[in-house]
Amino acid sequence: MRKIVGSLFLVLAAVMLCVVPVHAGDLSISAAASLREAVTELGSAFSAKSPDVRIQNNFAASGALAKQIETGAPADVFFSANVKWMDFLVEKGLIDKRYTTVVAYNVLVFVGKPDLKAKTMQDLVKLERIAVGSPKSVPAGDYAVQAIKKAGIEKQLEGKLVMGKDVRECLMYADRGEVTGAFVYKTDAEQMAKNVKILFIVPQGLYPKVTYPLGVTAAGAKKPEAVAYFKFAQSAEGKKILAKHGFIVE
Amino acid sequence: MPLFSHSDYLAILLSLKVAVVATLVSLPFGFAVAYLMTFRRFPGKVGLDVIVNLPLTLPPVVVGYLLLLLLGQQGPIGKWLLQPLGIKLIFTWKAAVIGTAVVGFPLMVRSIRTGMETIDRRLVEASRTLGARWFDTVMTVIVPLSVRGIIAGSILMFARGLGEFGATIIVAGNIPGVTQTIPLAIYDYVSSPGGDVMAMALCLVSISISVVVLVFHEWLSRRMVRAD
Repeated sequence: MRKIVGSLFLVLAAVMLCVVPVHAGDLSISAAASLREAVTELGSAFSAKSPDVRIQNNFAASGALAKQIETGAPADVFFSANVKWMDFLVEKGLIDKRYTTVVAYNVLVFVGKPDLKAKTMQDLVKLERIAVGSPKSVPAGDYAVQAIKKAGIEKQLEGKLVMGKDVRECLMYADRGEVTGAFVYKTDAEQMAKNVKILFIVPQGLYPKVTYPLGVTAAGAKKPEAVAYFKFAQSAEGKKILAKHGFIVE
Repeated sequence: MPLFSHSDYLAILLSLKVAVVATLVSLPFGFAVAYLMTFRRFPGKVGLDVIVNLPLTLPPVVVGYLLLLLLGQQGPIGKWLLQPLGIKLIFTWKAAVIGTAVVGFPLMVRSIRTGMETIDRRLVEASRTLGARWFDTVMTVIVPLSVRGIIAGSILMFARGLGEFGATIIVAGNIPGVTQTIPLAIYDYVSSPGGDVMAMALCLVSISISVVVLVFHEWLSRRMVRAD
């Protein structure tokens, strides 16, 4: 029995040592949830060129990612879905100013069942439940709430807004029919929606342009791989991948 | 302490409301199940025991997800029972009550059972031989003698309900002022940069309520010991 316990301990110790293999070529990418497919493909394309670099993608609401980086989570590259959270980290000195750029743009849309009669922001007042990202951390929600305020329907929608933890959750709620409609990005609606369709594009005058800044963190700036990834994302090949997934690139 | 926003106050009130309603709604069912498990023998008893206790070991997210599949627009209960009746549960505070009730139910049943198991069986039998009907025996012998377990179970479930997060966020969503309870509001603040102060303030509220509940529980059980 003692022997068994002893060997179990050995096995356990071995397993624990194996869990976090510190790899020199590891690259941690934190990216906005809406970029999931595009950044995954970007990562595989980058890995194909530099096979010894292992990429770990972490997708969540941009605000949640910024918070993680602020509290010291390992991240080398950060894609945000708004300028706000990138600036937040730049101000804190957690993003290297030399390596910041804008890689893509997007458009906010409203999705719902195809037979739903909602063609303008004012029509939303009649709807029962609307999913938006939690504006405290989800840029899509932040843009949506700004548009709602500017359209002057904030009061009427009070208590009707379901706060999703990221933009994809909002789309999932709408797709499953648990909410009447949802504010998501055009890319999410075009690539992922099954049961819902775009009912209208939110007028650009109501919210700031959806902008995706890319930055290398202070820790990542020390890694040549992170800088190479940063350059790759802006290259013609990188832009092609983003455009393929529906993002607007310049 | 920072000033809470209107929706934060509503979150605190809603947490209390959901926990209270979930406890009250579960009480008769919890008592019935505990009664069956303690005093009756029937086929499938082990099965019932496992089903009742399952939420204790399952991640609350699983409970929430299964409830969503069951009660949602496309779920069997949602589609064939709730929709024709015009009842909408998902993303309302009632869904939060259901999630909380399911997750806390095993705690309540366990406490009541512990209370019932201390009852001398001969008292139950004596009441029956003296002509009490089944219902009279339950009300005049079993309920008074297991009241401590009933109260302990209710308090335990109430306390668990205050902290329910996993199932609630899935079935009730996160609607400020409507279904956003304290844990959900904290989660919202925690995942946003600069939200730490508010998250901490809500944590303090949460801790205070829990301490009050636990102290009350302790005080009550001591009082009852003295009364014996």
